[in-house]
Order: sequence, then C-alpha cells, then structure tokens
Amino acid sequence: MLEIRNLKAEIEGKKILNGINLTVNPGEVHAIMGPNGAGKSTLSSVLAGRADYEVTEGEIMFEGKNLLEMSPEDRAREGVFLAFQYPVEIPGVSTTNFLKTAINETRKYKGLEPMEATDFLKFMREKMELMEMDKSLTSRSLNEGFSGGEKKRNEVFQMAMLEPKLAIMDETDSGLDIDALRLVSNGVNKLRNKDRSFVVITHYQRLLDYIVPDFVHVLYKGRIVKSGDASLAKELEVKGYDWIKAEVEAAQ
Amino acid sequence: MSTIEKLKKDFEHYRAQADASAFAQQRESAFVELQKLGIPSIKHEEWKYTNLKFINDIPFQASCLHTEAAKTYYTQNIVQTLKANRLVFINGSFEATLTQIQPEDAGIIITNLASARIAHADMFSKHFGKYATVEGIALNAMNTALMSDGAFIYVPEGKQTAYPIIITNISDASEVNVLNQPRNLIVVEKNAAATVIESFFAFGNHASFCNIVNEVYVGENASLEHYKLQRLLGEHYQNNYTQVFQEGNTHINQVTLTLDGKFVRNNLHFYMNGENCNTLLYGLYLLDGNQFVDNHTRVDHAKPNCFSDEKYKGILKDKSTAVFNGKIMVHLDAQKTNAYQRNQNILLSDEATVNTKPQLEIFADDVKCTHGATVGQLDEEPMFYMRSRGIPENVARKLLLNAFADDIAEKIKIPELVAILEEQIEKKI
Ligand SMILES: Nc1ncnc2c1ncn2[C@@H]1O[C@H](COP(=O)(O)OP(=O)(O)OP(=O)(O)O)[C@@H](O)[C@H]1O
Ligand SMILES: [Mg+2]
Repeated sequence: MLEIRNLKAEIEGKKILNGINLTVNPGEVHAIMGPNGAGKSTLSSVLAGRADYEVTEGEIMFEGKNLLEMSPEDRAREGVFLAFQYPVEIPGVSTTNFLKTAINETRKYKGLEPMEATDFLKFMREKMELMEMDKSLTSRSLNEGFSGGEKKRNEVFQMAMLEPKLAIMDETDSGLDIDALRLVSNGVNKLRNKDRSFVVITHYQRLLDYIVPDFVHVLYKGRIVKSGDASLAKELEVKGYDWIKAEVEAAQ
Repeated sequence: MSTIEKLKKDFEHYRAQADASAFAQQRESAFVELQKLGIPSIKHEEWKYTNLKFINDIPFQASCLHTEAAKTYYTQNIVQTLKANRLVFINGSFEATLTQIQPEDAGIIITNLASARIAHADMFSKHFGKYATVEGIALNAMNTALMSDGAFIYVPEGKQTAYPIIITNISDASEVNVLNQPRNLIVVEKNAAATVIESFFAFGNHASFCNIVNEVYVGENASLEHYKLQRLLGEHYQNNYTQVFQEGNTHINQVTLTLDGKFVRNNLHFYMNGENCNTLLYGLYLLDGNQFVDNHTRVDHAKPNCFSDEKYKGILKDKSTAVFNGKIMVHLDAQKTNAYQRNQNILLSDEATVNTKPQLEIFADDVKCTHGATVGQLDEEPMFYMRSRGIPENVARKLLLNAFADDIAEKIKIPELVAILEEQIEKKI
C-alpha cells in the first residue's frame, strides 16, 4: 500500500529526513516512536503534502501511484488521512459543513454524485455513535475553543467519516485523559480492518496496549534506526532511547 | 472653467426658479459655503487617501436622463422575491412609474422629497438640513445647494414598517458623464420601527458621480434597521454621506455592503443625543481590480449609558485599495459609554492595500472603549488543514472567506440580502 524509499527532506536548508525506508501493507498497524525532534511529524507532513518541506531524494508510492506528485487534496481523496499533532482551529466553519464539503469533494473526484443532505446527516450520526462523540462538538466551529483532548477526538472522528485507506496519526494520544485515550483507541480499533492501514506516531507504550501494532519503528535523526514487533515498544518504555542512540553512534 | 464655476451655472439655473422659502435660503447659504471651501484636495486631513481630483478632471453634467436601459437594468437587478416598498431614482430624479407601496404600509409616508416639501411642509422644514451640516463639508454644501430629488420616508409615532423600504439610486452613464446629487430624508418617530435598504447601482460606458446626502432622524425609543447595498459597475464615483441623529433609547442596526465600486467614499455618522442608545454599525467591502473604497465613520456618544459596536471587514483582491477611518467621540457628559470598534482585512494579493486608522477622542472618564485593526493574508494553516481533508484550494478559500464574511452577514436580518452577498463572494473569488 505505502512504500517509502530513501526519503530525504529538508526545510530552509536544514536536513530533517535522512533516508527513510518504510513499507506498509494493507491492514497493518505500524507504530513510529523516537525522541523529540527526530522527524516524526516531518515525515507525516511530507506524506500529507505540506509544501514547506522540500523532498530532495527518494520516493513515496501509494497504491502504485507517486504520492509526491499529488496535491494535498488529491492525496486525501486517494485515501491518505493525517490526524494532526496540532489540529487547526477554523472559526466560522462548522465541523458538519467542513466534513460535508470534504466528503462531497472526494466523491466528485471519484465521479460520484454528492451525498444527499439527509443521507449525510444519517451517516454522520452513525459515525458519531461509533466514535462516542458528543453532539455539541460537531455543531460548533471546527476545533474553535475545543480543549486539547476534544481536538484529538475530533481528528479521529473525521477519520471515521472520511474512511481512509491509510491513516497517519501524529501523537493523537498526547493530551488525552485516561478515559479519552480508551475512547480514541476503541474508535481506532473499530476502524481497523484487513484493508485499512495505520501509522501511529506516539511517545507512549500505553497507547500500544490498546492499539496493538504489527511493527514498531524507532526514528532517530531522520532515519529509522530500529524496527521490531510490539515488544520493542515495551523495551523502550523500560530502557529509554540512550541504548539506541549509542548503537547508532557506534555504527557511524 | 473650474468646477465651482460650472456648478455656479447650474446653481443659477435653480436659483431662477427658486421661491422665497427657507429651503431656498438653505441652498443659497450652502452654495456660499461651497464657494468658500472649494473641492478638498488630499492636503485636507479628511481626504488624505481619497483624491477628489476626478471632479475637476471629468466633465460631468447634471443630467436627469431616464433611459429605458436604466429601467430595464433596474427590473433585472432588484431582488424581485423580496416583498417591499420601493422608490426608484435614476440619475437623481424620481422615476414614479417604478414606485411600489404595499397596502400594509399605507400609514407610512413613502414618497419623493420634492413632493414632500410641498405636501408635508411642516415635517420637511422641521428636519431638512438639520443633521447633515454643510459647514466645513464641501460635498454636503454642494449637495444641499444643487440636490435634485430623493426619498422622503416618514414613519409616524408608534408605527412599524410591515415590509422593508428600498430606495434605489441608479447612475446611468450610458450616454454622457453624469453627476447625480440625490438627497434622502428619513424620519422614524417616537416608538416607531422601520427597515430601510438603500440600494445603489451604476452602469454605462461614461463616468458618473453620485454625491448623495442622507439625513436620518430616529425619535425616542424608536428602532431602525438600515442597509446600504452598493453595486457600482463601470466608471462610477460615489460620495455617500449619512448623518443619523438618535434620541434616547433608540436602537440602530446598520450594515453597509460595498460589493463593487471603482471609487466609493462612505461617510457614516451617528449622533446619540439621549441615554441608552444602541448603535450597531457593520460593513463589508469586497474589492477587486482597481477598486477603491473609503469608509469614514463617526460615532458621537453625547450622552451617558450608550453602547456602540462597530465592525468593518474587507476582502481585497488584485490592486484594490481600502481606507478605514473610524472616529469615536465620547463627549464630556457621556459617562458609562461602551464603544467597540474593529476593522479586519484580508488581502488576496500583494498589490492590494489598506489604510486603516481608529480615532478615539474621549472626554469622559468612566468609559469602556476598545479598538483594533488587522490586515493580513488568508492563513496558511487552515488552508493546508482543509486541503489535507480532500477540499481543493479554491473551495477551501471560499469556505474561509465565507467564514470571515459571516460575522457581518449574520448582522443582516434580510435573507435576500445575505444571498446577494454570498453570490458576490462566490463570483469574486
Ligand atoms: N518549519 C520548520 N523550520 C525549521 N525547523 C523545523 C521546521 N519544522 C521542523 N523543524 C525541525 O525539524 C526537526 C524535526 O521536527 P519534527 O516536528 O518532525 O519532530 P518530531 O519527531 O515530530 O518531534 P516531537 O516528538 O517533539 O513531536 C526538529 O529539529 C524541528 O525543529
Ligand atoms: Mg511531532
């Protein structure tokens, strides 16, 4: 589904990604961990098509198509979804209107008729129930005045609405209280299926107790320096990153 | 021949037909004032960014031409679905055939000023020229001396308009360069309520200049919904002066929408002459090409315990320019004043410009006054966020600009006007 080969990217001349290789197959969940500033959000931004970053080398194939040649909106419409580490507030645009536009623009891209207003509302109600979302949030302006945790939950709700093929979740667990963490994880687990893949960026093993990954990768200085199964996350929880950093230094 | 000399010829023409009325006297002294002041140049503080040079450069003529084109233009461009009372003026003169009065509003006087001066002489002389001063204001003096005709609205004590009153002014420059000087007088008596829409159109291949003065009196405990809709195509210049005079306990909601205009100067003034007034003034300008709009507002808090809320917003494309100058005068007496003012602008191009200036003059000590102005581009972050959900750039931009304009749109109580606004946003971006 997703094939990242030797990806290098920089911003304002500063090299941030230094040759990432990652393959994600349908239905897999990959966790990416790594110290602050390692380049995790940069990787997710490059996947989503943020223009600030310049890709200097490598390629990203998504379902056989060159992702790097697509506009951000086309990537989304092809099925890539990014749950932002810092979701943006958009005053004056309601979540409902926003999602209706997003869904219908995606349908248009695929040559489908727009969803009828009543069908849309029904669909939204179903997803709200599935994600255990509070109704008052969707009638408000998008993320405006939402608490940190509410914003994160709204990201997962949007994911449920847009039904992506590949969901990248950038620290969706940060800032969630214990109950919200469970709700979000349950939500994600309900969306898991044999075709849908996830890349979950997190600092905490705790999330991975709920969303059990197939693979865990450690990103450090813009490269994936270690990969393993779910047990790697447990090991990191105990030992921290120093031993990995030491391994990397030794290898150089 | 200088502009003033040309106007003098026009004025002498009027003078030849004048009677000995107080009205004729007012015009005489207005003309004296105009001669004294001349047309202000950009050296004049109030006209720093707004150059009236065109008045000298373009050979305008006071024309009362009523072409079929203008009538057709009117019937095609009014909001037909809106049930309303209507008065239409083409090039400043009354087009009686297009008048519409709803039977439910028979108790309200809705007519042209020229006939009201005779038919309702006492009300006319009580209010005419009492609010919009000519002293020191050349274009008001020019209008007062040389005005053609306009609307006269009189809402008697305790009465309410059942339907909005739409005053339409059309500048038709299809044959010559025209100068229009309409004059409106709106009186809303004690305990009355009215909704008035002023709608301005301009079209034609020549230039037109509309120099309009509005006087609005709002009696004790009365309320007014007041809208201005400016859709001015072609080589049109407009100077739009409005003085609202409010007695105590009045409520005013005023929205000015400038959706097109090569050159528009709005002077919107409120004078709160009693306690517990509520004055809400909002505006939205959508400019592209080389369009220019200047909103000069002035809110006079003359008495205690009044509230004013002002918000003007602009979206500017291409090489357009906006000027905002918001003056709030809190007089010595006006304790417990609450006054808010904001001006926010979004520039969609590097070549668009905004000059914005709040001007607070506060002479009372127990007041709450805030102001703020912003000029910026559309934010990148919301844009990327929306695109990352599959919304293409142009649709995202439209959503964001609609959201920006919504603040003002929600102050409009007439859905048909909101629809015009939305349509125009759609068209312009
Ligand atoms: N716009 C930018 N300008 C300059 N430097 C940037 C920019 N964006 C990211 N960086 C730098 O790139 C590096 C990687 O940042 P990134 O946000 O990808 O880290 P991260 O792994 O997501 O960290 P965290 O765990 O703290 O979220 C950091 O050193 C950061 O300062
Ligand atoms: Mg990050």
